[in-house]
Amino acid sequence: MQLSRRGFFKVAGAAGAGVAASTRPAEAWQSRAPADPQGCLVDLTRCIGCRKCEQGCQTVNRLPAPEQPFDDLTVLDKKRRPDERTYTVINRYYPGRRDERDQLVPTFVKVQCMHCQDPACASACIVGALTKKENGAVHYDVTKCIGCRYCMVACPFEIPAYEYRDPITPRVMKCTFCYERVEKEGKRPGCAEICPVEAITFGRRSTLLKIARNRIKSNPASYVDRVYGEHEAGGTSWLYLSGVPFDRVGFIDVPHRPLTQLAESIQSSLFSYMWSPIVLFGMLSGVMWAFRNKGDRDTREKGGQP
Amino acid sequence: MTKRLSLAIALLTAIAAIGGLIGFQGGVPSPSEAVAAAEGAEKIPAPPQTSATPWTAPDQEAAKKRAQEFVPFVEAVMEECDLCRQMRLRETGLGIKDITNSYFLLDSPIIKKTEDLYGPVRFKHSKHASQLKDCALCHHRRPLDAKAKETTRCSACHQEAFRSDQPERLGLKAAFHQQCTGCHQEMQKGPTDCLGCHRKNVPDHKELVKLPEKPEPTQVTQECLRCHKAAGEDMLKTAHWLWKGPSPYTLNRSKHVEHGKATSAVNNF
Repeated sequence: MQLSRRGFFKVAGAAGAGVAASTRPAEAWQSRAPADPQGCLVDLTRCIGCRKCEQGCQTVNRLPAPEQPFDDLTVLDKKRRPDERTYTVINRYYPGRRDERDQLVPTFVKVQCMHCQDPACASACIVGALTKKENGAVHYDVTKCIGCRYCMVACPFEIPAYEYRDPITPRVMKCTFCYERVEKEGKRPGCAEICPVEAITFGRRSTLLKIARNRIKSNPASYVDRVYGEHEAGGTSWLYLSGVPFDRVGFIDVPHRPLTQLAESIQSSLFSYMWSPIVLFGMLSGVMWAFRNKGDRDTREKGGQP
Repeated sequence: MTKRLSLAIALLTAIAAIGGLIGFQGGVPSPSEAVAAAEGAEKIPAPPQTSATPWTAPDQEAAKKRAQEFVPFVEAVMEECDLCRQMRLRETGLGIKDITNSYFLLDSPIIKKTEDLYGPVRFKHSKHASQLKDCALCHHRRPLDAKAKETTRCSACHQEAFRSDQPERLGLKAAFHQQCTGCHQEMQKGPTDCLGCHRKNVPDHKELVKLPEKPEPTQVTQECLRCHKAAGEDMLKTAHWLWKGPSPYTLNRSKHVEHGKATSAVNNF
């Protein structure tokens, strides 16, 4: 059989249309965020930069001791990031405000995993080593991790770190939200518990948002009217209040929709009811069917005219 | 010789007479006592007698006891503005004369439940009150209960942090720190750093120090430096390490030698 170009598209189109018609349109993306997780509210106007949270974190999580002791505040002279040896760091910024003695007033910012409501790292993880727990923690299961480090690429806050220097059993390291401690022992995260000025308030996210709104309302001169983490990246379990605009103290602008939404909707719409593979293989089989006689024709032609 | 002996005897009798007059017993030791004293001198002298319980300051002890007391939690406080509170307190006539405890040791078990990094703060209640002359600065709210006293301790309202029934109420530790540090900063008076108010609790070094049975002096120094590296580096810049000076005993000062640890002394490790 001789297949014209038009004939081929007819066959392939019919196959594709048939499969597409049999599937319904992909369901709308749904957030899998826990309803009322626990969280922490960091009030930057309260933080005094004492680094006790770093110390509490190191003690509670049995992390390696730092090179410089925790009461050495000269480490604040340069900006740091959480790494594979530290889950949380304090950075000092001078946003420009001066006190009555004409001294620049510092603002201290605690940096750690934000524990997103819809974490991009967990969405990117291909083995489910990272999961969002009911209590708000983005939990890392080292036994499942294969070390692909997609989470590090996916995280908008660039938090997960990797133990590159450990060649045998490297782990992804990031703030655990003291998962075991909070969930099983009923305690507070190490940093929140040790903070001498309650710059970190621990509680239910809904309560924290209420507290934050209340603080802004009762003291509007001291705060900017924004709770960082309320909408950022679709909402995070860690929330921040600041007295200075957030972009001046190292906070990045993150889209207000969950970062997982776009990627997951594309992926789920492509693979719902396996329609895309069915179409693909349908088309391929159409091609094969259309060309099924090509070889025969060659032999027939050869046979016909010896 | 005889003259000198008679003089000595006369002196002794005079001393004995004076001793008898003022009631001094045993001014001249008897021969047996003298022997006993000579024997005792050879032994290591016994340390001075100390009483079984060392002396303690009564107010410090009282403050320690007071710090351990538990005060029932005040659920509700009266809502009023700071100025209203100040004026109302002034009208009631409450003042320094009403202070019952002039000294507090801020050593509540509520704080120690979660951590124990620093020693207690010694808070001079009367001194603060007499300088500020305004009770409302610290006693900023009163319990809603009409029968309660006008002013209460900090730990009556501020106890555990992050109470789910009182999410806005500060814990005791944060209340202390925010109140004290905030005021000290504002008044530009009083310490605002950790060690200004309380001493650090030094961890028990029994477990931390790891030394062999009979360590060499250098091993001891090495072990200290294992953790206190910066202290070692600081030491190298002190006068204890860098002292030197001219040696005045060099013969005729012909060779001027700057002698000292920084130059020629041998016990440099």
